[in-house]
Amino acid sequence: MAGIRIRDLVVGYGAVPVITDLSLDVVDGSLFTLLGPSGCGKTTLLRTIAGFVPIRAGTLHFGERDVTALPAWLRDIGMVFQDYALFPDKTVFDNVAYGLRARKVAAASITATVGEYLERVGLSAYADRMPAALSGGQRQRVALARALAIKPTVLLMDEPLSNLDAKLRVQVRETIADLQREVGITTILVTHDQEEALALSDRIGLLRQGRIEQVGTPEDLYARPASAYVADFVGAANTLAVTLAAPVAGGSRARIDLDGTMVEAMAPAPLPAGNAILVARGESLRLVPPTDGIPGDVPCTIRRRQYLGGRTTYQVCTASGRIIRVEAHDEAAALAVGSTAGLRLDPARSLVVAS
Amino acid sequence: MTRQLRDVWFWLTVLALALAVLFLLYPLLRVLGTSLAAGGDGRSGWVTLVTDANYRAAVFNTLLLGAVVTCASTLIGVPLAFFAARFSFPGKALIALLPMTTLIVPEVIAVQTWLMVLGNNGFLTRFLADWGWRLPSFYGWFGLVTVMTFIYYTYVYIGTLAAIRGFDQQLEEASQSLGVTPGRSLLNVMVPVVVPAILASALLVFTLVVGNFAVAMVLGQSVPLLSVLTYQSFVSEVGTNPVMQSTLASVSIGIVACVLFLQRWIVARGRYEIVQGRGAAPRRMSGRAALPIAFGAAVVVVVSILPLVTVVVGAFTRARGPVMRWGDWTTANLERVLLNAPDPIWNTLIFAGTATALSLVVSTLVGFLIVKKRNALTPALDYLASLPLALSGTVLGIGLLLSFRDGFLPLAGGAGIIVLAYLIRRLPFGIRNASSTLYNIPNSIEDASVSLGVPPLRTFFKVVFPLMVPSVAAAGVLVWTTTVAELSASVVVYSAGQETLPIQIFRLIDSNLMAQASAYGLVLVAIIIVPILIATRVFRIDLFAAK
Repeated sequence: MAGIRIRDLVVGYGAVPVITDLSLDVVDGSLFTLLGPSGCGKTTLLRTIAGFVPIRAGTLHFGERDVTALPAWLRDIGMVFQDYALFPDKTVFDNVAYGLRARKVAAASITATVGEYLERVGLSAYADRMPAALSGGQRQRVALARALAIKPTVLLMDEPLSNLDAKLRVQVRETIADLQREVGITTILVTHDQEEALALSDRIGLLRQGRIEQVGTPEDLYARPASAYVADFVGAANTLAVTLAAPVAGGSRARIDLDGTMVEAMAPAPLPAGNAILVARGESLRLVPPTDGIPGDVPCTIRRRQYLGGRTTYQVCTASGRIIRVEAHDEAAALAVGSTAGLRLDPARSLVVAS
Repeated sequence: MTRQLRDVWFWLTVLALALAVLFLLYPLLRVLGTSLAAGGDGRSGWVTLVTDANYRAAVFNTLLLGAVVTCASTLIGVPLAFFAARFSFPGKALIALLPMTTLIVPEVIAVQTWLMVLGNNGFLTRFLADWGWRLPSFYGWFGLVTVMTFIYYTYVYIGTLAAIRGFDQQLEEASQSLGVTPGRSLLNVMVPVVVPAILASALLVFTLVVGNFAVAMVLGQSVPLLSVLTYQSFVSEVGTNPVMQSTLASVSIGIVACVLFLQRWIVARGRYEIVQGRGAAPRRMSGRAALPIAFGAAVVVVVSILPLVTVVVGAFTRARGPVMRWGDWTTANLERVLLNAPDPIWNTLIFAGTATALSLVVSTLVGFLIVKKRNALTPALDYLASLPLALSGTVLGIGLLLSFRDGFLPLAGGAGIIVLAYLIRRLPFGIRNASSTLYNIPNSIEDASVSLGVPPLRTFFKVVFPLMVPSVAAAGVLVWTTTVAELSASVVVYSAGQETLPIQIFRLIDSNLMAQASAYGLVLVAIIIVPILIATRVFRIDLFAAK
């Protein structure tokens, strides 16, 4: 077992590399998620760590071992793929035994190890089946057993859940979480699904165009996004372009003019005067009757209302035409489309960041 | 870059590319280059070509024959495919055998058996003559068009059938739901999708006609044709002046290359995204409507299977010289072929066996490189590997002789050059068939194996190759069947004592010894059919999975 250390990594040819000067540390035994939209370079980064994509510059260490120039088959990795990548002509047992046989492990030991890992993923009864006779969730659990059976230094997972339907996704997600914790293996998981990232990860790195936008715990990314981009990608917050009248010190409250109403929001980092972005999640906003008339409430009109069971989402429009999403949990205060209301921000849960 | 230089696949691509340049590009360039040189009379071959009426006529006749046969093949192949795909009628099961007949009956046997039926001495010719009917001579346009059409219409049939079967009938239903009659819906919706496939297969037929050797040679004596003149200039000019043969070969390369480019363009343009939909279920036809269709189909089927029947009958019919004594049965022909003069059989088995084994190794490797291991060099390899499609056998043979008669690699005169000609001629076919399963094998399987600690080359043999086995086996059978039937390249490069079955049959036809030709033909058909039967019946290999 070992942590992963990436320093000044450059990947890809040509004038615009896929990954530029990326540095990253993954703590030994933790689960780290690379999150980002498609095309952000997260799969390329994972395949670079695996050894399938050559490194142009920079270094890559597994623990103290420098693996920068090592080919994939010598890196001692376990890898799980989006499409399972089970060998279709081999039984479940032979699939899991494949890496052990390549390492010339004794037959008795192979039988024991394969048995142990099939047991761990709950598929002991399926050892003699062919992959085609398994469901998608079962196939991905076999792939997980196969990757872990060789007791690799690191486990790399490339969108392991995205081929599964919603219900299986949650099941396999829990298998992955349990197994990763039991085995205590350093793991990197790639996903574009922010809910998956929030649920599984010790830490998340959000990638944008080959650069790390923010690294932190799930709580960090959700509650303290470093940029409007992070706020929008993780949990789809409202991001509103605003103008700061004066510079703001880091960690203090800023007073912001929002369509003629002065509202307050936290500034996690110091900001200069001028353009900035106000980040407010739908659930940190409240709609109040217009008659309340408290000075901090922004007048708005209800454009759309969607009842979603436990909550209701509203789309409201301010005087200047901004569209803002609000999430309400108290159905009693249902507001009709077309009626006017006041929009109230929670200063402690609203952020203002650089644009 | 350092990483890419160490990649084993990169070096294998370099090796394959080097071999392709040596054995494919170099002979082709030799042909084109020689055509530009001055000939014996001090004129460039191209000047002779333009000024000599006989050569001009050959180019014109070749294009005309190509056009006529292409149209005739389309007129037979398309309706047959449409009715086979959309309707079921009495005797339809026989139509399913049609793709097999082109595979089983080599061209040289087809033309030979047609001659036995409709030639000057053919039994139908004589039968009709007894009733006072005189047919036009089969040696000429009548024979050329008839034989080639019935050899090549299956290509149009197979191409069209695949397109119609792949067509989503819901589109037709959508059209009808929008208020268009069924007939107009067919015209508006299906025709635009199917026409590119028809055109592509028709153009393929055109290139095959241009390159055809066996039929043109036997029946085209009174009609100057490009392939015949090329061969004749080769026979008469060996060792002296190869300019004219190269010029004629270059014309044929030019025509075929133009048509193939046109075909690629049509295929690329016509590739609509077809959502995998429901193919239409065949509608049952019965009574009055079914009868003419079933009859028409039956005629086509019977005519297609005729060569097979004739070759069997001919092999067992007593003959005195060129005169067949129909009805007088004997095994003497076969005995002579098998016991007294079996050399062509052994030659065929050894040369084609070697070529097929080599072809499988090369096809598997090159197919894998082209499909799975793309790098900066693979597009060039892909193009070079499909180059033989543009070369008729005669042209290929001449190119090989020009390049390897003497000089740094003197292969001519040995068996090696025949094997080389076989290998190159069927390479595109071998690659396409051997790599057909590769598209269904996800790349992640290889990555999985490598990530588990198995290096790339061993990963290929442990993980990828086992999955390729069905398509490689099918490729083996198909390459074998088409190689043992190869005539046009081997007849150019072979030396005395290296006669293969098709060459021997070709020579016997020339001497009008049809009974003995039939006996060799029967052996050749057996050599083709037995592996097909074993592959399809015993190993349950789907030979046409790649189509």
